[in-house]
Order: sequence, then structure tokens, then C-alpha cells
Amino acid sequence: MTFTPQTFARAGGIALLAVILQISGFAPLLLLGGHPDLVPLAVAAVAIYAGSVAGAATGFATGFLLDLAVGGTMGVSSLVLTAVGYGVGRYREVRDPAHGLMPIPVGAAATLGYVATIAAVSFMLDVGSSVSALVVRDALVTTFLNALLALPVFALCRRVLRPVLLVDPVDTRRRRRGLREAGPLGLRGLEA
Amino acid sequence: MYDTKVVRRRRATLAIFVALSVVMLTAYFGEGSGGVFHTLQRGAQEVFAPLETGTDRALKPFRDGVGWFGDTLDAKGENDDLRAENEKLRKQLGESAVAADDVRQLRGLVKLADEDSFPSATEPVAARVIARSPTVWYSSVKIDKGSDDGIDEDQPVIAAGGLAGKVTSVTGGTAEVRLITDGSSAVSGQVLPSGGSGVVRPEVGQPNDLLLDLVDRGRRVTEGTTVVTSGFSSKRVQSRFPRGIPIGRVTRVDLDEVQLYQRVHLEPFADIRAIDIVQVLTKRGRPSENASAGATP
Repeated sequence: MTFTPQTFARAGGIALLAVILQISGFAPLLLLGGHPDLVPLAVAAVAIYAGSVAGAATGFATGFLLDLAVGGTMGVSSLVLTAVGYGVGRYREVRDPAHGLMPIPVGAAATLGYVATIAAVSFMLDVGSSVSALVVRDALVTTFLNALLALPVFALCRRVLRPVLLVDPVDTRRRRRGLREAGPLGLRGLEA
Repeated sequence: MYDTKVVRRRRATLAIFVALSVVMLTAYFGEGSGGVFHTLQRGAQEVFAPLETGTDRALKPFRDGVGWFGDTLDAKGENDDLRAENEKLRKQLGESAVAADDVRQLRGLVKLADEDSFPSATEPVAARVIARSPTVWYSSVKIDKGSDDGIDEDQPVIAAGGLAGKVTSVTGGTAEVRLITDGSSAVSGQVLPSGGSGVVRPEVGQPNDLLLDLVDRGRRVTEGTTVVTSGFSSKRVQSRFPRGIPIGRVTRVDLDEVQLYQRVHLEPFADIRAIDIVQVLTKRGRPSENASAGATP
């Protein structure tokens, strides 16, 4: 990814849209006893297409916006989403996933990591009351719903980010290119 | 082969963001409500409010549609005629659902204020919920009224049925309400008519089950009785909530032989996860005589 003003505008737009849609649209949406959470999905999508540095930066910015908007403890969401963005970005850099259904496991894993870490951090910080086991159910339902939402959310983020991406990990044409047979000797036999 | 510059830059980026987050976290806990981050949050809430209001209203029919879908899943045993009829009515329902839901909640609020035990002269201000906290750990909502409408911090907030929470921060046009299901919430409550009092705390992740803790074992508490805010006051401290606001109905009483106190489970009267309209009690008001009859806090 090239870091230009356009890059920041596109990633920032995704972060802002995810936060606004989440707190005003998806948070009160009760499905199967839980609700979908766009925030970790958006961060994971940016990270999987743009890499770990952009993922961590988007995670931090999204968490910052989220804590500002909902009046939560500043820094909690930033910390957790930075880790989610970095982790997903590193997964992309190390494993280079390209399967068309890749967003489903990546979105689910990012969501599960997010809700579990938020729970752990919140539990350590300032929860003075008892915690119900239903928290686990809530986390699992959110993960399931996010897995269902992952494909459209990732597709939308990819569409927004594509003009500023150096390499699109899902671009199958990149993978089908044949080995170089002409040109400088040192490059022959390598992927073009 | 790894490019060491890239690796260093990547690790440095991660370290910087983690450090920034930890600094924010530490500073936020250390500062008072007039600190930099709290002020920043209030400013951001002012900026976000119009966006959130617009999004909330725009997506409400969609949410109602999804809610309707969920309900039909539960009722899949219904016959085909009813389904066809529902199909015809769905479009109409989508248009009227928003208005009907608002009316239902407003009626609930009016009915609540008419109850015998409810404190009088509280000067309630009605407000609409425009944003909700996305996690179960921080149960808070944002409303579209603020200090310009007479709302101030620590004022009690009620929803249709009973107590919903209290105002924790205010800007000119918005206010943040911490719900009674928030992990840090604690409300002094009293069982009517026996008068046993204790502290109402939530059980995180279970919004339909509150705990009235620290109730003296000597006080007999039975299922089905009502719990209201006790509104205690002494020379030094005074409860934020006036006496007599209904909180919930007793569903179960745990009597542990070892414990000195009873643990009373309540089902809140207010549907905390589906509130759209609330009222902020801008004045403490006067407790109703019916709320205190026969009760000793």
C-alpha cells in the first residue's frame, strides 16, 4: 500500500463509517441473542488487503473513534484493535491467503480475538460486578454473525482500497502469471 | 529474505500504537471529568451527534425489519395463509412500526410517572436514543438532549417501565447515559412493601437479571414483589436517585446458609436492550408517600 493522502482518506472513511454504522445501526440489532459488530471486520479487512502496518494504524484510529463516540474508557478499543489489525496483517504477509472464502475465517477469527480481548481487558480494568456466562454466548453469536457478514464487508473494503493497493492478495491473475522466459538472465524462471 | 528496514518499521509502528493506547488508558483513569480526554469525548460527541441521529433514524426501519424477520423465525409453525397476510402487511408495518414503537414507549413513560410510588415534581425531559455502546461491558447509550435542555450529570434516566440509568456526561445537545446493566453500575434499592434494602448491581452479559445484594437475611423477600430506588440520604451522602422509581420485579431469592445477606434476583421493568425513548428526571422531586409506607431504608 502506498501511504498517500488518498490512502489515509480511504482507510479513515472505512473506520468512520464502521464506527457510525455500528453504534447507531448494528449495536441495537438483536439476532439470536447477540448483535453483529462491524468494527473488527472493517479493521481485519483493511489489514488483510493493506498489510500489518496499515492494519495496526487503522485499528488504532478505529478504536480511538469508537471510544470517543461511545464515551468508553479511552485506549481500550485502540489497544485491542491495533493488535487485531496487526495480527491479521501479519497473517496476510506470512501466509498470503488468496481463497475466495478467505474473509469468513479471517473475519470470524478477528471478531473472536476482539471480543475475547475486550472482555479480558474490561474484566481487568473496571468491572466491579459479577459476570454472567452468557457473555460467552454473546461472543460466539457475534462471531457467527460476523462470519456471515464478512464476505460483503471485505468486498466493500477491497473495492474502496483497491486504487491505493500495491498488491491485491485476492487477485487471482497475479497468481496465474507464468514464469518469466525472456529478459535478463537473472530474472528468468521467476514469477513475472 | 527479510528486509530489516521493513521489519523495524513494522515493529516500531506496532510499538508506537500500543504505547499510545496505554498512555491514553492511563491518562484517562488518572484524570477527572474535566480532563483532556473527557473533554475530547464531549467534543467528539457533539460532532458525532448529527451523524448518529441521521444514521439511527435511517436504519430504524431496517432494524425493525430484521426484528420482524427474527420474530417470524420463532413463529415458523404458522400456516401459509398467515404468512401471505404478513407479506401484505409487512410493507405497511415497516412504515408504521417506527411510530408505533415510539408511542408504546411514550405511553409506558407516562404510565410510569402516574404510578403511586413514583416521585413527583421531577420535571422529566424526554429524549431519543441516538447511539448505543457496542459491547456488553460498557452498557451506555447516547441521547439527543443535553445541557441546553436542562440535563446535567448524575440525573436519573427512566425508560418505559422503570429505571434505565443515569447521565454520566453532558454536552450542549447530547448526553451519555450509563445503563443499570453496565458493569460499574450500582443503585440503592428497596423491596416493597417489606422494606429490605440493598444495592442493585448488574450481572454483565445478562441484561434481564439484576442482583439486589446486601439485603439483610432478617428481611423477608418474596418472589413477585417490586424493587424501587431507596433514595437514601444521610448527613454526609445522598443517593443520586430519588426514592420510589421502580427498578424491577423479584424473580428469585438465594438464601445461602453461610452468607449474612440474601441475594435477590430481579428482572428489570425497563427493556434495557430495546429502549429508543427515555426521560431524564432533571429535578430530584418529592418522594411519594406510598413509596415509603411501611418501609425502613
